[in-house]
Amino acid sequence: MSVPAVEFAHVSKAFSGRVVLQDVDLRIPAGRTTVIIGPSGAGKSVFLKLLVGLLQPDEGRILVEGEDLTRLDEEGLYRLRRRIGMLFQDGALFDSMTVGENVAFPLRRHTRMREPEIDAAVASVLASVGLPGTQERMPSELSGGMRKRVGLARAIVLDPDIVLFDEPSSGLDPVTSDAIDQLIVEMRERLGKTFIVISHDIVGTFRIADHIAMLHGGRIVARGTPEEIRHSPDPVVRAFLRRNIPLPPLPGEREESP
Amino acid sequence: MTAAAGIPARFLATVGGYAGFTWDCAAATLRHGLRTDATLREAYVIGVRSLPVLVTMAVFVGTNLSIQGHAAFRTLGAHSLVGMFVALAGVREVCPLLAGTMVAAKTGTEICAQLAVMRTKEQIDALEVMAVNPYAELIAPRLLGIVLVMPALTVLTLAAAIASATAVAVWQLDVNPGEFRDYVFDNIRLADVGIAVLKGVLFGAVIATVSGFFGLTSERGPEGVGRATNRAIVAICVVCVMLNYLVTAVAYR
Amino acid sequence: MPSATSLAPPSAPADPPRRRRREPSAAFHAYAYRVGAAALRPPWSAAEVVRHAYVVGYRCLLPVLVSMVPFGMVIGVQGMKILDLFGAHRLLSGLMALLVIRELAPVLTSVLVAAQAGSAFAAELGAMRLKEELDATAVMAVDPVSWHVVPRVLGMALVTPALTVLAAVGGIAGGWVVAVYGRGLPHGEFAAHTVALIGTWDLWASAVKGLVYGVTIGLVSTWRGFHSSGGAEGVGRAVNDTVVICVVSILVLNYLLSTLMFTGAGAAG
Repeated sequence: MSVPAVEFAHVSKAFSGRVVLQDVDLRIPAGRTTVIIGPSGAGKSVFLKLLVGLLQPDEGRILVEGEDLTRLDEEGLYRLRRRIGMLFQDGALFDSMTVGENVAFPLRRHTRMREPEIDAAVASVLASVGLPGTQERMPSELSGGMRKRVGLARAIVLDPDIVLFDEPSSGLDPVTSDAIDQLIVEMRERLGKTFIVISHDIVGTFRIADHIAMLHGGRIVARGTPEEIRHSPDPVVRAFLRRNIPLPPLPGEREESP
Repeated sequence: MTAAAGIPARFLATVGGYAGFTWDCAAATLRHGLRTDATLREAYVIGVRSLPVLVTMAVFVGTNLSIQGHAAFRTLGAHSLVGMFVALAGVREVCPLLAGTMVAAKTGTEICAQLAVMRTKEQIDALEVMAVNPYAELIAPRLLGIVLVMPALTVLTLAAAIASATAVAVWQLDVNPGEFRDYVFDNIRLADVGIAVLKGVLFGAVIATVSGFFGLTSERGPEGVGRATNRAIVAICVVCVMLNYLVTAVAYR
Repeated sequence: MPSATSLAPPSAPADPPRRRRREPSAAFHAYAYRVGAAALRPPWSAAEVVRHAYVVGYRCLLPVLVSMVPFGMVIGVQGMKILDLFGAHRLLSGLMALLVIRELAPVLTSVLVAAQAGSAFAAELGAMRLKEELDATAVMAVDPVSWHVVPRVLGMALVTPALTVLAAVGGIAGGWVVAVYGRGLPHGEFAAHTVALIGTWDLWASAVKGLVYGVTIGLVSTWRGFHSSGGAEGVGRAVNDTVVICVVSILVLNYLLSTLMFTGAGAAG
């Protein structure tokens, strides 16, 4: 494995005394899809927020393509974030803008492209997520699945090195959820970028993942290929895969709130 | 910490948070540059949207002023002084303050709710992740937009209030029109209008920063949106009344 | 007309035609009527009324005083300056007390009550609408208007007059500080002119105004919250509408009430 796309080195994070992540140590390989799975309250969202610098860890280092995120000033952080795209849970589209303006937003703010070029780029990326010709629609008119597709289009329009997915299947019916998983697999093959997904959806995870890390009680309890995870002897992993919630507590575990 | 001791502590924490927020806004705007197009758009939107309700309010402020002045001075048998009362009380104090309250009620709550909704829907996080500074993107254009339109809105409020006060005085209270007009215009100096405009601009700055602060620090979810808006409007009202006293105390020593 | 299919039910006995139940209208007059009817037709919880009254009073007292005292001081500053022109600054206290009690205290208090408690009511009920708590109340065969709205409106109607009177005291105190300590007006003269110019009628008028504005704010805020829609934005919109509508209605009502109370012959003595 060459330089990992993302490396968490002994990262801990607590909120007013409540430990959410504890000594997380993880290398995420470049050019693959890595899924962080775990039950809700395991610290997945905090993991993602640390990864984009919305939160600062209490301890440890977070390296994105070799750069230590925790030591960057604002300018450096913003420079780094231009190489990251993120699909938020409900898309996080700007309600006041059309679909086209939403997707064009990163291009307008970070490139010197002219309007015709922007229009062409927006049209092509919207087509690639399966929503050609929707530029003039408003986010409020879209279904949950469509909002996620537009969110994905906005996330990849700057051609980032790393694409993050926050619970891509949450809030969707099973059919739409399958379609989004399918889209993620397609996009990964076409773009060849690093995809990092956090999810609690077991079926979808096995469909899209090249690597899986399982987060439970703020710690990485298992990691490996889907095959390795599927045959893991670890009781916590087995319980999660059998959907036995609540999971058996870890030694010395603290209570988690969602 | 007991509940009683918690209130001053929370108050100080909020004031500190607000100070930090305004500082961050100024710093971010200087670093990332002001978005002129967005500023002008906000100025236009704020100006146009608050105009109808502001004028409605001003009309009734004027009618109230006439009635009040009339009732007060009649007891002294000097009801023609109502014109003076309208000019002095209206232009110097009541109109700027109520214009501020109205813009706070209309635009301030709108800004606050908008930002709190954006926060709830992770749109502020999305801006950050797309390497766009939310302060420079969202707060600075609104702040400057309000500050740009406040002078015009204040002057319009004054004009509408004086017009409606005249109408009530002349038609309802039977004050001599010529006398009323003389008392009004003899008692308005250009400086008074200037001070009123200054107050308007200060209130505008308070409205934009306070509602921005409460909006961007709101809790997530619909209750958070409601609570943030509620806190913002009360804080704005109280700060504006105090600021009004300070300006008056200095300007009319 | 008899139907040809065998699946048709046997012809039903002719029920006397009953009017279809209609969904309650969201128009303000219909809503106000509904609240009024529910208020006149208990059961509603008196304990809830007291609780809301307490919360409104507790939340609003500080903002009201903190705004009214500086406002009184402003009148002190401006009034002294103006009355000096006529050599009549002794009249300050009486005129100020008159203005504060009759006009400024009711208006400023209710604007702040609208901003503080009215917007809170709108936000609470809006969130309850959004989370289907109001529907759940109705499905459990409890009228959401009697249970959630009436206590709020009555609580606010109880407390606003009291806050108005306290605000008047605060405003006069503010003017007193400026006039007596700032400008050296003798204390006795200040008090004497205050008492001379105001009558009990003025205090009653002030409280009545507070009552009317309190009911208005209670109705408008719960109306916007009760009939809000459209997610978190809907809650924000309800709050925004509430404050704007309340401030304008207070000014309109104040004009009408002042005209009625103080311009009628002999009313103000």
